[in-house]
Amino acid sequence: MHLLPEKLCELDEMAYQIRRLSLEMITYGKWGHIGGAFSMAEFLSVLYFQVMSVKPDKPQWDDRDRLVLSKAHGSPALYAVLALRGFYPIEQVYSYCELGGFEGHTDMARTPGLESSGGPLGMGLSVAVGMALAMRFKENARGRVFCILGDGESNEGNVWEAAMSAAHYHLDNLIAIVDYNKVMAKGFVWDEMAIEPFADKWRAFGWDVIEVDGHDIPALVDAFHRARWVMPRGKPIVVIAHTVKGKGVEMAEFNYKWHTHAPDAATADAMLRELARNYQRPELGYSKFGAEEVKEEFYGGE
Amino acid sequence: MVVNNVSGDVSGAAVEMRDAFGATLVELGRQYPQMITLDADLHTSSKATMFKRAYPDRFVQVGIAEQNLFGISAGLALSGFMPFPSTFAVFATRRALDQIAISICFPNLNVKIPGSYVGLPTSRAGASHNCIEDIAVMRALPNMRVADPADGADLRAIMRAAAAVQGPVYFRIARMAMPPIFGADHTFEWGKGVLLREGRDVTLFGTGIMTTFCLKAADLLASDGVSAEVVHLGSIKPIDRELIAASAARTGCAVTAENATINGGFGAAVLEVLGEECPVPLQRIGVRDRWVDSGGIKELFTHHGMQPEDIAVAAKIAMQDKRRRKQ
Repeated sequence: MHLLPEKLCELDEMAYQIRRLSLEMITYGKWGHIGGAFSMAEFLSVLYFQVMSVKPDKPQWDDRDRLVLSKAHGSPALYAVLALRGFYPIEQVYSYCELGGFEGHTDMARTPGLESSGGPLGMGLSVAVGMALAMRFKENARGRVFCILGDGESNEGNVWEAAMSAAHYHLDNLIAIVDYNKVMAKGFVWDEMAIEPFADKWRAFGWDVIEVDGHDIPALVDAFHRARWVMPRGKPIVVIAHTVKGKGVEMAEFNYKWHTHAPDAATADAMLRELARNYQRPELGYSKFGAEEVKEEFYGGE
Repeated sequence: MVVNNVSGDVSGAAVEMRDAFGATLVELGRQYPQMITLDADLHTSSKATMFKRAYPDRFVQVGIAEQNLFGISAGLALSGFMPFPSTFAVFATRRALDQIAISICFPNLNVKIPGSYVGLPTSRAGASHNCIEDIAVMRALPNMRVADPADGADLRAIMRAAAAVQGPVYFRIARMAMPPIFGADHTFEWGKGVLLREGRDVTLFGTGIMTTFCLKAADLLASDGVSAEVVHLGSIKPIDRELIAASAARTGCAVTAENATINGGFGAAVLEVLGEECPVPLQRIGVRDRWVDSGGIKELFTHHGMQPEDIAVAAKIAMQDKRRRKQ
């Protein structure tokens, strides 16, 4: 898949901004999941800035591609990419976890561009199957439904009910993406409930499988191109994106203790500066110093 | 006001509720091209099969996977369709509660949920299949409307009203043949009850198939010189607060009757209104915090104290309470 250097730069910048905004809103909102937001940054950037057909000025455009975030606790990353894509002003993401603002988990009534509401794991792939069936009913051959799942999430039985039905209905307009970051809320996937042999499970359920380094932007561009245009042959497609939980900030990387954890302002500032250095960007710290102090403290632990 | 298309006579030829369900699915399918009926391997029992025969292209079989049934319905609703995911009430409201709550109710999606085989009459299937807590559970969900029809005409009217509103609806279908209470021109309005019979001494509030039992109980009470008012509340959520309070204020005591557990269900909903608006002595008829085992239908209604005779006895206890409180 041909990728211009300027496009690669843009996708890389968007991945940086997704991480940066996610960390800002989790700190300012005093709650959230840094690890699972960071691991999605590259593929969300590629999806919204290269792959998906959406119109930010017409979010309800009927022929749009759809994305269901089944691992809805990753919401900050999705709120960030939707803002960057122009669905709403960037400042609006700071309403995250505020009463009346963007919900902790996804609430489509609150956030333009969201295609579903969620929170409990295991449920999103079924919703995506319904959307893919709907595209068939409407004879929309070009449209695609994307569904982002967590690796730990695939412990849930509902995921496999949905997987079985997608294959039964030959939904090759459905592309699942598994954020395989190897880390769950309280431990490692292999230790909490092993999912391997993972790719074989999807194949056994009648899916085509692409495995990819989930932080390698050209590889992701290629994977989604293949999933969308080259591979459809009556089978749904899963892109298993091998990622690092918390990728971009050393303290949070591959560390379940940062699954649900809001840093204090000083820690967030240090993390944001580290992130900027890693991306070779101007060292930009936390933008809301002091502002978050007036908020009610309701969650302090992991 | 007694609605003029109501006879209050329950001697007519009984109609299977599930036949009325299947026929109305077909009727609505004609009216609403965006309607899709989904099934989890029970369509010949629920009679959703009638829709499948009429509109095979708008029928989706998901196999024995109720969580997926409701998730797929959410996805279809998000794409502009009006799904009717059909299965037994136990599998909808027990197995797939999270999917109904968060995938459907939370975003207020236009999904109409028929719960088949509710309460006691479930062909000897036993506790696992006798759905008694669905009213309590479904009415606790924000955005959800809940209805329990008395007869075939009421079920048809409820299904029409369900399709006519935007948002999730849960309605119950008992596997039982019910004598007609309502005429063919019967209509249903959300939040409106129907005064079936006026009375002075006690109000019998019924929902679902128990409304017929209330009418029979009123006949029994009449032969004892008791004048019982009978109110049918097919719309459980929203509920007709005005009618409940006005009737209780007139008669001074009441009985509720439901084909479900009394814990948190219909009787509790009426009790909430009475407690807030017009506290009067109240007796509740329904399943009393126990599981419903296998058995014959009549046998089960007797065993659980839910026959018209039991309603009549409860009415007399409520009237005694009323007299005692006046002294």
